[in-house]
Amino acid sequence: MNKKSVIIGVIIVAIVAGLATAFSVPSSETVNLDVGRSHGTISTAMGSPLLGDPSAPITIVEFGDYQCHQCYNWFHNTKPAITKEYIETGKANLVFVDLAFLGRDSPKAAQASYCAEDQGMYWEFHNMLYNSQESQIDNGWANSERLKAFAFSLGIDLELFESCLDSGKYSKRVQYNNQQAREHNVRGTPGFFIVGPDSQEQLGGAQPFSVFKQVMDSMI
Amino acid sequence: MVNTIKLVFSNFKYLILSTVFFSAMVIGLLILSEYIFLEPYVVSHIPSGTELGFVLILIISALSALVIPMNIFRINILKKSKQKMSGGIFGSVIGAAAGACSCGPIGFAVISTFGSVGATATAFLTNYEVPIRIIAIGILTITYFTTVRSLKVECKISQ
Repeated sequence: MNKKSVIIGVIIVAIVAGLATAFSVPSSETVNLDVGRSHGTISTAMGSPLLGDPSAPITIVEFGDYQCHQCYNWFHNTKPAITKEYIETGKANLVFVDLAFLGRDSPKAAQASYCAEDQGMYWEFHNMLYNSQESQIDNGWANSERLKAFAFSLGIDLELFESCLDSGKYSKRVQYNNQQAREHNVRGTPGFFIVGPDSQEQLGGAQPFSVFKQVMDSMI
Repeated sequence: MVNTIKLVFSNFKYLILSTVFFSAMVIGLLILSEYIFLEPYVVSHIPSGTELGFVLILIISALSALVIPMNIFRINILKKSKQKMSGGIFGSVIGAAAGACSCGPIGFAVISTFGSVGATATAFLTNYEVPIRIIAIGILTITYFTTVRSLKVECKISQ
């Protein structure tokens, strides 16, 4: 084997490895590597990865708390229709930003979602939390042990997840997101900003799909 | 019972008062509990899984609109004590507070202002929203029956 063949082999392996890495992230989920990311007037740099097509003309910024039952209502009653008609069709994308204020387990749940993001499982973990929410705040359904159990059931590397969660690695990230919410006059969860090409509109509460449709259609 | 209700609400003033109470309570509570939104469009909806909360709000509002005007009638016309009135107001207030403090603007303001004490109070009112509203309905029902009985005696209404 001559030197030229070895170099060509290394280049081919590098290209294959690069492509494999690029396609290992689900197509609907874009890991947030942009520390200066913002949508409209809101800094979403410390928020979730973008759900949907990054080049979509509209971005829905959702401020939420994993223990908030109105966020649960929105997740189950309004979000499915938005996902089907706007996110999956490339008309809109969505970013989730924490406003973790309801109880002592809320910030921990938000931090856990970013520990899951470290392993490319942000949205899976996010969905699991809203599917597993119990009606009582701070009754233990979102304490550290349960968050680790959720991670385990999703097949997340538990050792990495535990060290991330126990170290409070993302505590400041969640605080930054809370601060963004306050700076933008979000006074409760869920709170939304619909950011279009030329304007942005604030919506408060778990409003029905018809309202989101009306606002977004007026922006496209 | 029907005669007592007729006696109070045959007076147009008390009928208006009752309508105002009912409308204000039901609209206020439906807005606070996010069944009605005013911005950016006026819209109402009942998300699936929240039907019980909706029905409890209607019952509390209806009972408050019945009990409070009847007690105002007792105080104004018969110059009786205000003791039963407080039962009606107490029932209405705790019924309203149960749903108001959750993740909406009031809960957020309470937690922002009072910190961990506010968070504990908000969590309690949210966690026990349905039982608290049922207790409020119980208080209003008891107040209603005692008010009717008092009016029967005081006004000597025949059965």
